[in-house]
Amino acid sequence: MLRYTLRRCGWTVVQLGALSVIVFLLTDLLPGDAATVDFNEQAGLDQVARLREQMGLDRPLAERFADWAHGLLTGDLGTSLVGGGPVSEVLSSSVGVTAALAAMTILFLVPLAVAVGLLTGLRADSRTDRVISAVTLTLTSVPDFVLALLLVGLFALRLGWLPSTWVGADDVWWQRPELFVLPLTVLLARTVCVLSRQIRAGTITALHAGYTVQARRLGVPPARLLLWHVLPNAAAPGVQELARTGDQLLGGVLVIEAVFAVPGTATALVEAVQNRDVPTVQALTLALAAVACLLNLAADLVGQRLAPRTEVLR
Amino acid sequence: MEPVIEVRGLTARAGTAVLLDAVDLTVAGGEVTALVGPSGSGKTTAALALLGEAAAGVRLSGTVRVVGIPVVDADGPTGAARDVRGRIVSYMPQHPAHALNPARRIGSVLTELARLHRPRGTVGRSAAADLAAEALRTAGLPDDIATRRRFPHQFSGGQRQRVALAQVLAGSPRVLVLDEPSTGLDTVTRMRLAGQLTRLAADGFTVLLLSHDHDLVRAVAARTVLLDRGRVSAAGRTRDVLPAAPRPVSSTPPAPVTPASETVLYARGLTAWLRPGRQGEILHEVTVRVPEAGCTAVVGPSGSGKTVLARCLAGLHERHRGHVMFRGEPLPVLRHRTVRQIRGVQYVWQEVRNSFDERRTVLEQVARTAVRLRGLSAPQAERRARQVWERLGLTTEHATRHAGAQSGGELQRAALARALLAEPDVLICDEITTALDTVSTELVTAELTRLREESDTAVLWIGHDLALVEQLADDLVVLDAGSVVDSGDSRTVLTSPRSETTRLLLRARHLGPVPAMSSEPAPTDVQ
Amino acid sequence: MRRGARRRHRRVTGGALLLALPVTAAVVGPLVTPADIPSDGPPYALGGGHPLGTDALGRDVLTLVLRGGASALGVACTAVALAVAVGGLLGLAAAASRSRRLDDLLIRPVELLLPLPSLLVISVVGVGWRGHPVAVALAVAALNVPAVARLLRAAALDAASGPVAEALRLQGESPARILFGHVGRAVLPVAAADAGARVGSAVFTVAAANFLGLGLDPTSPDWGVVIAASREALFVQPWAVCAPTLLLVLFTVGVNLLADGLLAAKAEGKATAWNP
Repeated sequence: MLRYTLRRCGWTVVQLGALSVIVFLLTDLLPGDAATVDFNEQAGLDQVARLREQMGLDRPLAERFADWAHGLLTGDLGTSLVGGGPVSEVLSSSVGVTAALAAMTILFLVPLAVAVGLLTGLRADSRTDRVISAVTLTLTSVPDFVLALLLVGLFALRLGWLPSTWVGADDVWWQRPELFVLPLTVLLARTVCVLSRQIRAGTITALHAGYTVQARRLGVPPARLLLWHVLPNAAAPGVQELARTGDQLLGGVLVIEAVFAVPGTATALVEAVQNRDVPTVQALTLALAAVACLLNLAADLVGQRLAPRTEVLR
Repeated sequence: MEPVIEVRGLTARAGTAVLLDAVDLTVAGGEVTALVGPSGSGKTTAALALLGEAAAGVRLSGTVRVVGIPVVDADGPTGAARDVRGRIVSYMPQHPAHALNPARRIGSVLTELARLHRPRGTVGRSAAADLAAEALRTAGLPDDIATRRRFPHQFSGGQRQRVALAQVLAGSPRVLVLDEPSTGLDTVTRMRLAGQLTRLAADGFTVLLLSHDHDLVRAVAARTVLLDRGRVSAAGRTRDVLPAAPRPVSSTPPAPVTPASETVLYARGLTAWLRPGRQGEILHEVTVRVPEAGCTAVVGPSGSGKTVLARCLAGLHERHRGHVMFRGEPLPVLRHRTVRQIRGVQYVWQEVRNSFDERRTVLEQVARTAVRLRGLSAPQAERRARQVWERLGLTTEHATRHAGAQSGGELQRAALARALLAEPDVLICDEITTALDTVSTELVTAELTRLREESDTAVLWIGHDLALVEQLADDLVVLDAGSVVDSGDSRTVLTSPRSETTRLLLRARHLGPVPAMSSEPAPTDVQ
Repeated sequence: MRRGARRRHRRVTGGALLLALPVTAAVVGPLVTPADIPSDGPPYALGGGHPLGTDALGRDVLTLVLRGGASALGVACTAVALAVAVGGLLGLAAAASRSRRLDDLLIRPVELLLPLPSLLVISVVGVGWRGHPVAVALAVAALNVPAVARLLRAAALDAASGPVAEALRLQGESPARILFGHVGRAVLPVAAADAGARVGSAVFTVAAANFLGLGLDPTSPDWGVVIAASREALFVQPWAVCAPTLLLVLFTVGVNLLADGLLAAKAEGKATAWNP
């Protein structure tokens, strides 16, 4: 287990290194840069060129990458081409609300998914199971943004129960819990469904496994049986799915922040992409990718503990 | 003495079928009682009734009392049955390895079970850990913390069976019900099991042994109940119910002593590893020689590396070092072998069910060998396949079936036919008679003898049935823990063994031969 | 078991039925509608010769919906097909290579892509190439390759190192026949079920990118773009939002049902194979 953990962590470091290269190259491929976006209307070609020189955009790719990577390692994320301030400021001012949103989603996601998964798994093929399974299958098939539109339409615009946008709540968002209700519902809807379906399948397998039957024969009472003998095995496929959910969650946050005008990292990123603010795009993309990477790591380590047999084949 | 278990008129019905018909069974405390019968005779149904358990759709009636507590009455299982499970009666299933939770350390499960059946608060954490350690010791495992922190997959197959036994013991039950505990054990392990059962009874446990292994029952059980198709056909003291069968005198003619001839297959200094990077050494400097038309046998307890040796020679196990020579030429691993070399060395293994493709008929797959390795046309190959097929006692009807519809014994012979169609120079047989009854085993050995005499085929025979080895082999190699501990002319080795392992194997033989699984009416389920 | 089989069958047929409408719209639609949709009506009008009303630019919603399916579904389907082809080849090659180093060389670099958040990549690519469908499709494909390769490698390794493959090798069968005849056939159902699930999420991702304005041009008839463009008028002209949404949801529910049924069939096949 320790060896696996070390190897897996080492691999994550390699992954992060490679990610930085990929992110840098990808953003570098963006045609046009801040100089052209800002000035192509009013400025002549030589003015653009002068600006490019000023921004250091005319130097060779490798040199710029070395500079950028060196900056990353020393904690300097670069300077925003649009605002002129350091990118770390953009990140720190937006990361709080996004982190809060993601953390709350995961906080609700795990117990909800486990509860729904266990309930449907225990009563597999009953009416309850069929109804819930049909609902979860349908919900997994509804895109986040559609669900967001429908819920906003119903609860915010029609009924007026909940706010439809975060505009005007810039600095006091943590004092207004009602702001979180709709975004969280949308974020949870799909992820809970996907995850609970995995846990349902795992529960059914574990319930019929020899070790569960034997534990019951040895007199382990039902509640204990479920929590200590069935769940650790039933959760294994779910945890692996959780890693993939991380990706969905990031995508979901992006959509949610756009729909509800949440002043978070994803909004900042979308803005930066539209403005060709390359240093900001690079830093934010890398930050989000690193989070996904670490989520993967955590899921793999927990999964390894839950299902220790699934060591790599060769 | 008050009987611990009292069963009167136990009847089990599934729909209109009667699984158990008015079974009476009395188990006295502190001794081993055996419930004997072929599979399908209702042993497991009866044993589960002691826990007040019945499979879905099975209705129980009659009375079952365990230490006076009614577990089953005229209306089926009672509510009191719950207090009996694990606390008074513990059941160990036939494939105990499946009974271990892969996601939990064995120590934590043992501690949990130890606390479960004692009044709340009377057993602290450390006391429970002591009880867990004691259960491990009783089951014959080390009780240190490192062992308790391991997961089931970190134990070998034999050890897993003991871990399952430790789980059964952890709740300190009075009655142990063991379902076919000798299935799949080699002779030495089986002998150890017999010793362990006797010790458990001496320690005060009441043991109910479910088995069709008459020799084991004779060795350990004081009383025996014979079950035949759901009815008790005999009951009483073991020596009255199951009189010892006259031990067959080794009447088979001694193996033809072949004059020293050319060596076909020769392995020298073979060392093999299980994991990449030379981790987990499983064979150490093994040397084996198979002469033309000769038969060399490799024996040893399970886990001694017999199968890895066979797979190295067959070229399937690639993590090895050493010299393997075939007719004087170095023999590479399978994927670098020429057609001549593949044809020359054929390998038949024990667990064959999964080696047949479910999408094609068995005969079709068997015949492919002759097409690929002997260059025959498809119809010619099929004709040849049918000839070999019939000599091994398989009917044409078997030929057109898919693997799923055949029994383990039929598939074992089909796998042999698959290899024989190559007309190999050396045939490596890895425990190929485990699923065969006596008649089929004789057909197989007769075919091998015929091939040795007529085609000079050499045989490398792997097995633990010493009677069969004595009958077939000229030379004998004894493996233990991956090393050769004894080797030479088979008669010399068996009459004057030089190693403890050989002596152990010879002693274990006196428990009798491992019963053929196919003596049961139902097709054996290899899984 | 039998009841399970019937329910599974129902799922597969149900899935196929649900797919019929959106797929027909996407395939037939572009053939019967003009490439340039005229703005011939008032904005957000209902009726008046427009069965599903008009959008903000006064374009006919029915025509838009018929025209937009090709990009909404086509990009995702092409991308997944590409990902399965490339990932499958990589996975099979990695599983077939007996040397561990070659296996690592094939699989490890691909695994580096796994943690890349898909919507981010698509957004960057979408903005960079102004939502050019080929660029978006390539990006989606590249994002799916690692997972497909990993899954199919595991499945292929299972089959290639199993006893059937060993028996075939001892019979002198050629590596190509073992790889394509036995291993390929064992992997096929896994690949099919996985592709089904992937098409659904690819459609989502592409639609989400378009919805965010990070993909296609804001006047494009793509379903995602239309939903985004008409969202303020949810109560004024519900059809402009609901029609494309409905088709999108029909498609993903159908694909999920189909993949679910295929997976269940696989699991059941395995169960019967294990317990003859």
